[in-house]
Amino acid sequence: MVEWLSDNRAGFAAVIVLLLVAMFIWSIVLGRKQAVLTAKDEVFGDPQRTRGGWYWALSGVATLMLIWFYFSWGIGRAYFPTAANEMCQVAKLEEVVSPIKAALPIGSRYYKSTLLVARNSDQLDTVEAELPTGAFTSPEQAKLKALTSNVRSLIVNSSNPKNLSREATKKLDQIVFQLNALSMELRGGFEGFSPTAKALAQPKWGTTHVEIPILPITARGMLFDGVATKAREVATLFRKIRNHPPANVTIIADVKARIAKFKKVNASGKFDKKTDADRVAYVKAVERIFRRLDDGTIFPANSLDGVNGAIAGLDAARDHARGSLGTIEAIFFPGIGVVKSRTQCTEQGSARWLPKPMDVIATFFKLANPDIEGGGGYKGVPLLWWKWLPVADLVDFFTPDWIADLWPGEYTRHGTDGTISPNFKDRLLNFARGDLYLGSIPALDGHLWDSVFRVLVAMGLGIFLGVPLGLFMGVSRFFKSFFDPLIELYRPVPPLAWAPLILTIFGITDDGKVFLLFMVAFAIMVISARTGASGTQLSKIRASHSLGASDRQIMWNVILPNALPEILTGVRIAIGVCWGTLVAAEILAGTTGIGFIENIARTVSDYELIWVTILIMGMLGLLFDLIMRWVIDKTIPWRGKG
Amino acid sequence: MRLIMKRALMASAGAMVFAMSVSAQAADKVNVAFFLEWATPNQIAKVDKTYDKAMGVGVNWTDFKTGVAMTEAMLSGDIDISYSQGLAPFVTAIQQGAPLKMVGIAVVYEANDCFVKNGSGIDASNASELEGKTVAVPLNTMADYAFRRYMAHLKVDTSTMKIVDQAPPDGAQSLTDGLVDMACIFGGASSKAAGEVGTPIMTKQQKMDAGIGSFDVISVTEKFATENPELVKTFLEVTEEANVAWKATDAQIAKVAKDAGMKVPTTKKQMADFIFPSAKEQLEQYFNKGGIAASAASSLGLVFSGDSDGSKIAKTLDGSFLK
Repeated sequence: MVEWLSDNRAGFAAVIVLLLVAMFIWSIVLGRKQAVLTAKDEVFGDPQRTRGGWYWALSGVATLMLIWFYFSWGIGRAYFPTAANEMCQVAKLEEVVSPIKAALPIGSRYYKSTLLVARNSDQLDTVEAELPTGAFTSPEQAKLKALTSNVRSLIVNSSNPKNLSREATKKLDQIVFQLNALSMELRGGFEGFSPTAKALAQPKWGTTHVEIPILPITARGMLFDGVATKAREVATLFRKIRNHPPANVTIIADVKARIAKFKKVNASGKFDKKTDADRVAYVKAVERIFRRLDDGTIFPANSLDGVNGAIAGLDAARDHARGSLGTIEAIFFPGIGVVKSRTQCTEQGSARWLPKPMDVIATFFKLANPDIEGGGGYKGVPLLWWKWLPVADLVDFFTPDWIADLWPGEYTRHGTDGTISPNFKDRLLNFARGDLYLGSIPALDGHLWDSVFRVLVAMGLGIFLGVPLGLFMGVSRFFKSFFDPLIELYRPVPPLAWAPLILTIFGITDDGKVFLLFMVAFAIMVISARTGASGTQLSKIRASHSLGASDRQIMWNVILPNALPEILTGVRIAIGVCWGTLVAAEILAGTTGIGFIENIARTVSDYELIWVTILIMGMLGLLFDLIMRWVIDKTIPWRGKG
Repeated sequence: MRLIMKRALMASAGAMVFAMSVSAQAADKVNVAFFLEWATPNQIAKVDKTYDKAMGVGVNWTDFKTGVAMTEAMLSGDIDISYSQGLAPFVTAIQQGAPLKMVGIAVVYEANDCFVKNGSGIDASNASELEGKTVAVPLNTMADYAFRRYMAHLKVDTSTMKIVDQAPPDGAQSLTDGLVDMACIFGGASSKAAGEVGTPIMTKQQKMDAGIGSFDVISVTEKFATENPELVKTFLEVTEEANVAWKATDAQIAKVAKDAGMKVPTTKKQMADFIFPSAKEQLEQYFNKGGIAASAASSLGLVFSGDSDGSKIAKTLDGSFLK
């Protein structure tokens, strides 16, 4: 069932997108209708104006989802499931032709030859200007000048069209001819092509680790794939063409001989260290430029015009053969499209880092699958499940091992016949260590539970300790003055600043992470309780006092209810900040948790998993906030109405 | 409606033209990623601007903390060449379909060590006692790879262990505090700290006998390699020359130490364990068919994701620029 759903995710996306569009339009129509109804009897600024309006929430959600579908190419995949495969075939052609394009103005503004001439001439100028006069004798300097000017003449000769060998001209013509033939083939259309069985058996787009199936699955794809294969030969031929004017052959031999002569003199060892280093470096610099010029990669500019034109023709033919695919790509696939690398085709632009909604759901279900052996969970731990927790583990947690050490006597030693008969002290140690069976209780387990558990424990401690302290600080001079410097000093410290200390103080277990979150929650709770308590109207306190209320009654029945709105707002904020700190807290010695999953997913650039964790955290934060809103509504319905 | 369509089309066409014009810029500057605190001879060429002179373009060096960050920067187009990227981030990037290429081997070094707490009485001979113990490992790094290779070699079942994901400094701290029984570490300072309280599970000789080693690679984006093959070639050439010229003299070490942001003794010690293979060695041992590069990459892919296709990774290895 799940498999079937997963394989047909594109189809479901198509339905969902339609529903979202319908929902969007319908909610706007409804919203406008409602707005007309209530427009007259509402005053601007009246809080009642913001009540209700669920249809606007619907349209907001629909907008968000549609944007997500669009920029992740989810809409494109839903309605054009073969488009990416076709784009991949076009990208194959692009990849193959790119070495040719890189040498031509059509791909890089200038001819590669022009850039090489400019760069090498510049370097020759620099080398000539930097001739170390102290290291070479003046006859040698003259020789070196002749040498560099000889190297320079290589550039001059290569750039002259008259010097282009007939062989090179012939090869260039051949390339133009072959490229034109490929253009013709592209323009010929794709009728009669049919994909191979192997290609059709490939997993669908997005259902495996490899995003886009690489073998062509459509007739158009077959056409491009075939052309790309042929173009590869043309590109190889192009790469191998060299321009060796006959004049250069003699110059190359001459320069080589001169450089060898200089090297020989350098190696004679009759120079001091500095001179030697200068001489070697200079000759090497000249040789380096020479070596780049002797391989004949500089061509006269107009000799490549034909190839440039043929590539332009091929581009036009490509656009023609793409047909409707070009329009679809421009509308539904925002970004640079598909790029073929050595091994596979990948989505570029927003689709690279923004996974499709359906893929995120699929990854979520994989993660949520409690069957660890069946590939579910993450790093051997389920997302959220339950397990039998041995009661002995709890006993182990709460009883320290040294209790057994305190009991008088010695631990048992093994007897002469190799048997062991444990005494009471041994049993006590086993009990303290939890090495016995006391039954099991069901307990929650998994990454999600671990994260929630950490946040809840930290919040619980924060509320339990922070609220009373805050209330007392609001009413007592001693509490206020004694704790004020302490709290105010630690409160502004960002929680992450504690992180380096946590590890060495608390170790790698949960308590360190809980402590970090507690630090966050505690400060917020103290401040909010204190503000709430000190904000109580004096008239109310005086009134209850004159009616005979004890201190305790004033605290419990007047100050606490007055501080409650502030406290609950504090809880709401604290939960939000705790979630914010969680990812960082779980970097410290991560073993489980949502933040841990995200950290590890980053190291392998698994964007689907990263988004799943982001969404889980968002959803849980929202859930907590909704719960808090409900609690606020129930416990302090008078808020904002005084 | 038609107007909107037209506008949308024009906007996307404009975006495409923009993207193309960006991609078609000729290299007037080459951006190279490197690690601080990772001393290599080519830093002399970096400081002396030999790269800039030889390549004829400005070379812009940016330091990174992790190889993953290098991959991310290369994908976003800000970096053209990564010098000394770990094999682990390179392979994971390839598995995610990143258009990168391995064009050279930067440094060959001893596999990162896993330190067993002194006094636990565990070494290579009774390593199976590690089962059920807690281990600090920086997941998905070369240290993680080394850890898994050691455990496989020593026949220890890692599924019984509690593996804690910790960065090397944290792992060393946890080992010192006795919170973990073993910590796998990379980096000079952290290894030193862990070495104070622990002993490597396998000695240098044992590692060599078992064939467990690591190396860092020189990776480039496919785009850069296609458009500027001569620059890649010159980059490797200058690196090679710097490696050949390396005599570990005091002046050289001082220069490298300053650039790497380390002290001279630490630099000396770190570089003593490094091997910088020559272009010839790289071609004959690493980039040949079934060479070390391909086999290490595929075994690493297998360790991390379990569904590694060795032939796929082999396609991204390209020794042609070394020739």
